[in-house]
Amino acid sequence: METVNEALLPSVARGDTAAFEALYDRHSGTLYALLLRILANPEDAQEVLQETFVKAWTNAKMFDAARGSEAAWLISIARSRGIDKLRSRKIRVDRENDAGREISIHSSFVDSTTGADRAIQSQESSAVRSALSELPEAQRVALELAYFEGFSQSEIAEKLGEPLGTIKTRMQLGMKKLRERLRDFQ
Amino acid sequence: MTHEDFEAIAALDAIGAATRDEERMLNGHLASCESCRRSRDEFAEAATLLARQLEPVAPPAEIRKRVVDSIEEDDEEENIIRAESRFSNRWWLATAATLFLALWGWREFGIRVARERVKSQDAQIAELKSKLESLRDHDDKLASEMAALASPETKTIALAGQQASPSASARVYLEPSRRRAIVFFRNLPTNAKDKSYQLWIIRADQPKPQSAGVFDVANSGNATIVIENLPVETEMKALAVTLEPKGGVEQPTNSNFFLMGG
Repeated sequence: METVNEALLPSVARGDTAAFEALYDRHSGTLYALLLRILANPEDAQEVLQETFVKAWTNAKMFDAARGSEAAWLISIARSRGIDKLRSRKIRVDRENDAGREISIHSSFVDSTTGADRAIQSQESSAVRSALSELPEAQRVALELAYFEGFSQSEIAEKLGEPLGTIKTRMQLGMKKLRERLRDFQ
Repeated sequence: MTHEDFEAIAALDAIGAATRDEERMLNGHLASCESCRRSRDEFAEAATLLARQLEPVAPPAEIRKRVVDSIEEDDEEENIIRAESRFSNRWWLATAATLFLALWGWREFGIRVARERVKSQDAQIAELKSKLESLRDHDDKLASEMAALASPETKTIALAGQQASPSASARVYLEPSRRRAIVFFRNLPTNAKDKSYQLWIIRADQPKPQSAGVFDVANSGNATIVIENLPVETEMKALAVTLEPKGGVEQPTNSNFFLMGG
């Protein structure tokens, strides 16, 4: 995402709507994919996506490039709102039932007609997937349960039937590896 | 706890897996630890790889329109708020200016009223001073008259009522050394507005009476006059009172005496 273009948020912070539209075009695919992954419901995902960009518009001045990338800032907003939505609507149980639909959602919304940005993002996501595949499965699962499902350490431990300490260690090791791999994408 | 411990918490916090207590401890530490803050930011960025591994999905086109419309509406609302704020500021400025003028006007009015009041009080003070002076003069005069009455040199002459006013009387206190006299009249009829009583000195050395003063008598029937520059006692034969035209005359116009004595 970030590697192909300069940050747009400083222009957005100055009220540049064209920059905002470019920001949407650049990041909406990844954010929508994330929200679909978290919420497994297109309507909810679209609603949260809209909220995320409106928040980005109003809070753009708070973006600090020294602390992280534009993509990370937007992903952080979208994930946080997505998890809130997930918890508030208590759709976690329903989600189990929608598991089959989730696959169809992903496939039906993958858009081959998107622009250059999305093509590059697609390549990037493929590279990231490749990098993450190096993570031990147990670590990856623990991280994804926390990140996409919003489960707490103890919930993950219970779900996986592992001691809490083991889960914590797994997640910490997994994150350290992610941090090491991050350099490949900056 | 060591920096490594905080780093471990930062790793969990990046994926929302830190407990509330861990989160609280971490935030407390980050406030004063630059290296752990950097680690926290790196873990947060690394966590986004989990999202970035997902194949991008294009949201429906109407979402883009909805988002752009909503920020434009937001922009318009902001402009309206700014415009309202400007209007509100102008309104407040106008109100403040009006209030200031009203207060200034009221203050000026207050000052003017106060000045008028001071002027009026100054006039009253001047009038009272004048009255005081007058009372002091009167007091001096009374003191002088009292002194004259009490003096052993003072001689007394009684005037008796005549045909015109039989019940009237007068007493003259004469100070020969000062050629001055004080006369107290009693029970004289009130004179008409166009008339005055006139006291005459009938001198031995002159055939014509000499006016000693003019006076009016009010309802009480009493009056007092002070006569200065009297003729010396040997030259004064008698005293008489007639009713004359207002303000007095050179010589008596009638012989209808109200009082007479000597």
